[in-house]
Amino acid sequence: METKTLVEINNLTHLFRLTKSVAIKALSDVSFSINQGEILGIVGESGSGKSTLARCLMNIHKPYKGEIFYKGINICDKKQFAANKKMLQKNRQIIFQDSNSSLNQRMSIREILAEPLEIQKLFKTAAEREEHMRYHMSFVGLEPRFLDLYPPEISGGQRQRVSIARALEMRPELLVADEPVASLDVSIQAQIINLFKHLQEEHHFTLLFIAHDLAMVEFLCDRVGVMYHGHLVELAETKELFNNPVHAYTKALLSAIPVPDPRIERGRKILEFEGVDMTVRHDFNDIGNGHFVLQDEGVTV
Amino acid sequence: MTDNDFVLVGIKPIKLPETINPPWWRGRPLFSAAILALIILGCIFANSIMTKDPTFMDLLNYSKAPNSEFLFGTDTLGRDIFSMIWYGGRISLFIGVVATLISTTIAVIFGSISGLAPDWLDTLMMRLTEIFLSVPTLLVVVILQAILGKANTVSISIVIGVTSWMSIAKVIRTEVRQIRNSEYVIASGCMGGGFFHILRKHLAPNFVSSIMFMVVMNIRTAIVSESTLSFMGIGLPLEIISWGSMLSLSEKALLSGSWHVILVPGVFLTVTLMCITNIGNYLRSEVNRKESNM
Repeated sequence: METKTLVEINNLTHLFRLTKSVAIKALSDVSFSINQGEILGIVGESGSGKSTLARCLMNIHKPYKGEIFYKGINICDKKQFAANKKMLQKNRQIIFQDSNSSLNQRMSIREILAEPLEIQKLFKTAAEREEHMRYHMSFVGLEPRFLDLYPPEISGGQRQRVSIARALEMRPELLVADEPVASLDVSIQAQIINLFKHLQEEHHFTLLFIAHDLAMVEFLCDRVGVMYHGHLVELAETKELFNNPVHAYTKALLSAIPVPDPRIERGRKILEFEGVDMTVRHDFNDIGNGHFVLQDEGVTV
Repeated sequence: MTDNDFVLVGIKPIKLPETINPPWWRGRPLFSAAILALIILGCIFANSIMTKDPTFMDLLNYSKAPNSEFLFGTDTLGRDIFSMIWYGGRISLFIGVVATLISTTIAVIFGSISGLAPDWLDTLMMRLTEIFLSVPTLLVVVILQAILGKANTVSISIVIGVTSWMSIAKVIRTEVRQIRNSEYVIASGCMGGGFFHILRKHLAPNFVSSIMFMVVMNIRTAIVSESTLSFMGIGLPLEIISWGSMLSLSEKALLSGSWHVILVPGVFLTVTLMCITNIGNYLRSEVNRKESNM
């Protein structure tokens, strides 16, 4: 199958201004592309810029430098964004980490699910919309009776399903999931991950999956990117990355995964990552088979 | 579900003592609501209540004390005060409601824009609000009225409306600042919701409870402003009957000793304001209770 590029990100840099003269670099020179129909996982520790990346992709933050091309449209450019606003807002959807705050507590589930459909005027009659909402509720495993409840009245896992349903009912091409399971307990996490896998097989949307749980990413994703202090340090196919990590940080990260066999687990050594000087210039090199690694300038493999 | 169902799964239900629900009217401002409703209904159906033509000047019977023909007496121009009260109440309440509508609309839009705006614009708008707040309202009203020319009901509503939105706008701005970074507001923006969509769906339900009291109080303030202006002679002219313009006659009436000219409209005004205040207070406590239950 031929792979088509859906999103291309070039040298994306984002700063958060603290005061007039002080700023924090949340993303520096991140470049990669997302193929149509794949699940791309982004892992990294807290504060490594994963959510900022997701928010830049959704036009919530305006990047300081760099470009994001969505199907050839530069969404960082005001004119091009405005010209394709409708299409972009319909085709890109985001799921936030905390379903508690991403759903308005004063609206019933029915109102929450109807909101994007109403804005984009996808249906002519209320009956059609209701039908569509019920279909997607059952798709994420919720009974129709939940439609009349309010977010505080249902459990965290159910709430997260509601926000997944809200994103999926728009039939997006690109779904950005910003740590969708981080706030849930483990049994629910497994359900939601399976749900994602199942839904992606059904709908063939492209998924950018942000997480900090490596096992989950290994199970779900086609390709994985590792972020560290605002840099994308390594990007490869899941198998390749887990079997053959190149960057020191990735190695350290992978060595931290617990193994469910006590004999191996006892001998497992967690590699220390001293940290590298991120201020020197780096190149993001392809070392074969679509395996990208961030290396000091001039290093060749 | 019966108690037996619980026993089957091993839960022993405890019988709670039957609680007696307090009567539904307990703690509600029923008395105020009833009086206010009576006054409003009286004003609406003024035409069938009035015993005389409120504008007719009966020069034979001026400054008459209340009697069987003139229930509340007549004023210094010989007009029947009983008829004037209902007829003038319309104008007073109309001004209260319209001025409040105008000021609330301005406050909601101004406050939300300021709340959602970037820092520099927010600061600019808020300092502007404070400048408006620091100028005595009455002074601004007098100036605006002078610019607009001869006062009539609509112009005075507008003038009172555009001078009383500042404090509500400040409250709204603070509330909006707090919720504008909630993920559901961001999510709504991602879906393509515009300013007015977000305002209606997400912001308004969150701040409406905190401005409810202020809005109700604003009706009161508007009625008072109109009365004050009319009393000072810069509000509605004498031939437009309102509670305020009726009070403006009282100065002369006091000198001639006809107490009813000032007492009757004064009592009506005070009672209405007290009822509105009472209902406003109830709304505020109710909102606070709901909020703590959430």
